[in-house]
Amino acid sequence: MEDSDIYTIADFCSKLIEKENSEIKCTDIYFEKSNYINIEIEENSIKNSETGEDNGVSIRVISKNGSLGFAYSNKLDRITLEKICKTAIKMMKVATPDPDFKNLPNSFKNYPVVNGLFDKNLKYLEIEDSINYAEDLIEICKDDEMAISQSGNFASGYSKIFIFNSNGLSVSRKETSCIISSNIIVKDKISKETSSGYERQIERSLSKLNAINVANLALEDAKQNLNRKKIKNMKGPVILTPKGTISLILRPVAAAINADTFQYKRSFLVDKRSKKIGSDYLNIEDNGLIHGAAGSQIFDDEGVPCKNKKILENGKFLKNGLLHNSYTAGKEGVESTGNASRGSYISIPSIGITNFIMKPGDLTLEEIFKDIKEGIILNYTGDSPNISTGDFSGLILHGNLIQNGEVKEPLNETMIGINLMDLFQNIDAVSKEYRVYGAFQAPWVRINSVNIIGGAN
Amino acid sequence: MELSDDLKKIDENLIKQLNQIANDKVEYWDIRAEVNNGTSLDFTNQKSKEISSFEIINCGIRAFKNGGWGFSVLKDPQRESIKIGLQKAMKLAKLSESLTKIKFNIARNDPLIEEYKSKSKKNLEDIDIDNKINLVKYHEENASNYSSYVKNTHTLYMDGHSQTLFLNSFGSNIIQDLSLVRLFCMVFTNKNGTTQSSVNSVAGVGGYEIVETEKANNLSKKTAKEAVELLDAKSPVGGKLTVIADSKLTGTIIHEAFGHACEADLVLNNESILKGMIGNKVASEQVTIVDNPSMGQAEQFNLPYELFGSYFVDDEGIPSQKTIIIENGILKNYLHNLETSSRMGVPPNGHGRASVSSERPQVRMGFTYIEPKDWSLEDIIEDTKNGILCKDFQYGYTDPTTGNFQFKCRFSYKIKDGEKKEIMRDVSLSGMILEALNEISAIGNRKTFNYSVGICGKGGQRVRVCDGAPYIRIEDITVGGLS
Repeated sequence: MEDSDIYTIADFCSKLIEKENSEIKCTDIYFEKSNYINIEIEENSIKNSETGEDNGVSIRVISKNGSLGFAYSNKLDRITLEKICKTAIKMMKVATPDPDFKNLPNSFKNYPVVNGLFDKNLKYLEIEDSINYAEDLIEICKDDEMAISQSGNFASGYSKIFIFNSNGLSVSRKETSCIISSNIIVKDKISKETSSGYERQIERSLSKLNAINVANLALEDAKQNLNRKKIKNMKGPVILTPKGTISLILRPVAAAINADTFQYKRSFLVDKRSKKIGSDYLNIEDNGLIHGAAGSQIFDDEGVPCKNKKILENGKFLKNGLLHNSYTAGKEGVESTGNASRGSYISIPSIGITNFIMKPGDLTLEEIFKDIKEGIILNYTGDSPNISTGDFSGLILHGNLIQNGEVKEPLNETMIGINLMDLFQNIDAVSKEYRVYGAFQAPWVRINSVNIIGGAN
Repeated sequence: MELSDDLKKIDENLIKQLNQIANDKVEYWDIRAEVNNGTSLDFTNQKSKEISSFEIINCGIRAFKNGGWGFSVLKDPQRESIKIGLQKAMKLAKLSESLTKIKFNIARNDPLIEEYKSKSKKNLEDIDIDNKINLVKYHEENASNYSSYVKNTHTLYMDGHSQTLFLNSFGSNIIQDLSLVRLFCMVFTNKNGTTQSSVNSVAGVGGYEIVETEKANNLSKKTAKEAVELLDAKSPVGGKLTVIADSKLTGTIIHEAFGHACEADLVLNNESILKGMIGNKVASEQVTIVDNPSMGQAEQFNLPYELFGSYFVDDEGIPSQKTIIIENGILKNYLHNLETSSRMGVPPNGHGRASVSSERPQVRMGFTYIEPKDWSLEDIIEDTKNGILCKDFQYGYTDPTTGNFQFKCRFSYKIKDGEKKEIMRDVSLSGMILEALNEISAIGNRKTFNYSVGICGKGGQRVRVCDGAPYIRIEDITVGGLS
C-alpha cells in the first residue's frame, strides 16, 4: 500500500463521518502499516524463519457531549471502511457522555528532531542477511560446557504510522526496531541442578546489536543462579541489579504516575505530589528525545510532540511529574505530555512511557558492595508491587547472598517484603554503571535494612 | 454452514493449485485463515471508557522441511497472495532446514474434513448493542452501590465471533466457527487509607446466554462484597504452614506451576523439570491430573454453554481430547503439538494452539484439572490443627527450570484446631512444585470441585484456558506476608 492510498482512505473516512452525523465534535484516524522478520532458536538450533506484514486503521469519534466510539479493521476495502466509520458512530451514540473530555490535540507547528529512529538497513533487511545474529547466539551456547540449551530470537520490524484528526492534525512517522533475545539453560555436572538466564537487547538500528554480548550475559545470569541455597531470615541491605531496579522502581513508578491511574486514585503516589518521597539518590525522568533510543519518538500516538520530563528529583515527586495523553491532560487542565500510547491500531490511546530513566550515581560497583557484611542481590522476581498500595512482597527467582562485600551462593525460596515508600527512602547508593533494556535505563541500587524472609527457618 | 466471503476464496480450485505449488518440495504445509469480529464495552465508574467494534482477517501459512519451519503471515489473503505466501513459507522452511541441527519429520496423520460450529442459545448477532450497554451498566451500578467503601468499579464485556479455515498437506480441510463471550468485573475499595480490590469473570464458548446465568448476574455484587471484606483483613505472619487451597487457587497452581512443565516444547528445550520423568512418581498417590479441552463438559457445572478453554480442533487440525497427565501420582503424558509428538514418537493430543492465525501454534493447555477424591471441605478443615485456608489468587509465577513457584492469594483464613478463624490478605505461598505435589495430604470430593477461566500468556501469545480442582490440602508450604 502506497502512502498516497492512505491519504485517500483518510480523506474518504473523514468525509464520510462528517456527512454522517452532526453530533460529532472531533474524530481521529490512526493508520499503521508494518512488516517484520523473525528467526527463532529453540534447543540451541534455528527452528523457524518467519516474515509477515499487516496494515490496519482505527477510527475514534467523539460527540459534543464527550461520548466516544471506536472501531478498527485490517480490511481496507471501501465497503469495510464505510462499515467501520458507521460502526464507530453507532458506538459513540450508545456510549455515556463524558464532560471530562475536552478535545483532541490541535495541529502543531513544530516537532522535535530525534535522529536514529529509522534505519534503512532494517527496512530492507532480508532474512538471509540476519542469520548471523542467530548463529552468534548459538555459538556462545554451544561452546560453553555447562550450557545445555537455549531459546531466543532475532527479529526486526519496520512500521509507518499516520495520524489524522478533525482539528487539522496530519502527521506520519516511520520507525525501525530490532531485537535479540536469549534464554540459556545451564546444568551443573555434579549437582545436576539446572538454572536459566535471560537477556535481551532492543535497538533502532542494526549496527548496535551485539548478539555475542547478549548470549554471554544470559549465560552469566544462568550460572550465577546455580546451586541455590536457603538462608535464614535477616534484615539487611538489598542490591537491585538493573533488572531488579526496573521491576521494583521503574515499572512501579511508571504505573503510579500514569495520569489515568492517578486520576482514579489507584496510585500509591496520590497525595504525594510536590513531596519528598525518597532519598536524594532517587532521580527519574521520562525522555522521548534521546537519539536512537528504543523508547524515543517524534510524537506520540495522538500526534503530540514528545518531550523530556523530570518525574522525581532528589527524591522529590515533582508537581508536574505525571504522564498524560490528551484525555487525562484535558481532565486536569494541563497540556498533554506526549505519552499517548496505542500499541497498535487495535487500541484506543492509553498512556505509556517513552524512555524511562533512573539517573546513575557516582559510585563504582565495587564501592557499592564493599561495606556490606551480610545482604542479598535481587536480580529477578516474577512479582510486582501493588500499585495502589505500594506494597511489595515477592519471591526472589534470581538473587545471591552477599557476605563481606562478596557475591556468594544464589538464593532458594527467599522472599522480601517492603512498601515502596520505605524502599525509596532507604536507597543509600546508586551505581555509575547502568544498563539499557528497551525503553528502560537502570543502574544498580542499594537499599538498606530490608526484611528478608529465608527458606531455611 | 454459512462461510464468510473472505474464506470462500479458498476453494477446491485454489487448494489444487496450492498442492501443485508445494508438490514434494516440502514435507508438510498448512494454512490458517480466520475472520474475526466482535465488540468490546469497557466501563469505569459507570462511564464508558471504550465502546468498540472490530473486523479483522488473519492468515498464516506454514511450511516444513526436515526440521526447518517457515512461516509467512499475510495481511490480505486473496487467491494470488495465498499462493505467493505458500511459496514464501516454503522458501523460509528451506532456509531454516539449511541451518537447523535438529532433523526430524512430521508424522503423517489421517486427514480430517469437518465443519464445527459452537452452539448459541442466543446468537450474538441478534443482541442489540443497547442490551450489552445495559448489562454493563447494571453491573457497574450493582458494584458502585454495594457499599460506600467502593471507590472504583471497572466492568469489561467482550464478545467475538471467529471463523477459521484450516488446510494442510495431509488433506485436512476444517472449518471451526466459534462464538465467545467474556464479562469481567473489578472493584476497588478504600477505608481509612487502605485500598483493596477484587476481580471476577464469567466467560465461555457460546452466545449471550453466558452473561445471563445466575452466576453472571451476581458477578458484580460478589466482586464488591469480596473487595469490602478484604478491607478488614490483616497481614499474615510468615512461616511454614499447612495450606488448604480452594479450587481457583489450586487450579491456577496446577496450571502455572505444573501444567507448563508438561508442555512438550519446554521439555524438548530442557526447560522443564519433568524431562525424562514419564513413568516416574511425581506426586502423592491420590493425585490424578488431566487436560481435557473437548466440548460437552459444562453440564457438570450446570452451565448452558461450553467451557471457555474448549475447542473442537486445535490449530493444527487435531481434535481436542482427554489426556491423562498424572495418574495416581505417576507422570503419564506430556501435552503435544504436531512437532513434539512426531519427535517423541507418540500420537498428537490436540494441544497445538495459536492465539490468532497470524501466530504459530505452540503447545498450550486447554482445561487442566485435578480429579476430585473423597474429602469434604468440613472434614479437611476439622482435620487441620494449624494452618491457613487460601481462596482465589491475585497472580502467580513459576521458574519452569526449577519448579520454584510463588502465588499471591486473595483471601486467607487462619485455621486453628480445626476451625476457620479470621480473614487475612496478601498471603503468598511459595515452594518447589514437585515437593508440593508430594505433600498433598487431602483432596476434596466432587462437591468441592469447581473450575475457573483465564487467559494464559506464553511466547507473546494469549489463549483462553480453564483450570479446575477440588479443595486440596498441602503440608509445609512457605507462607509469606508483608510483616
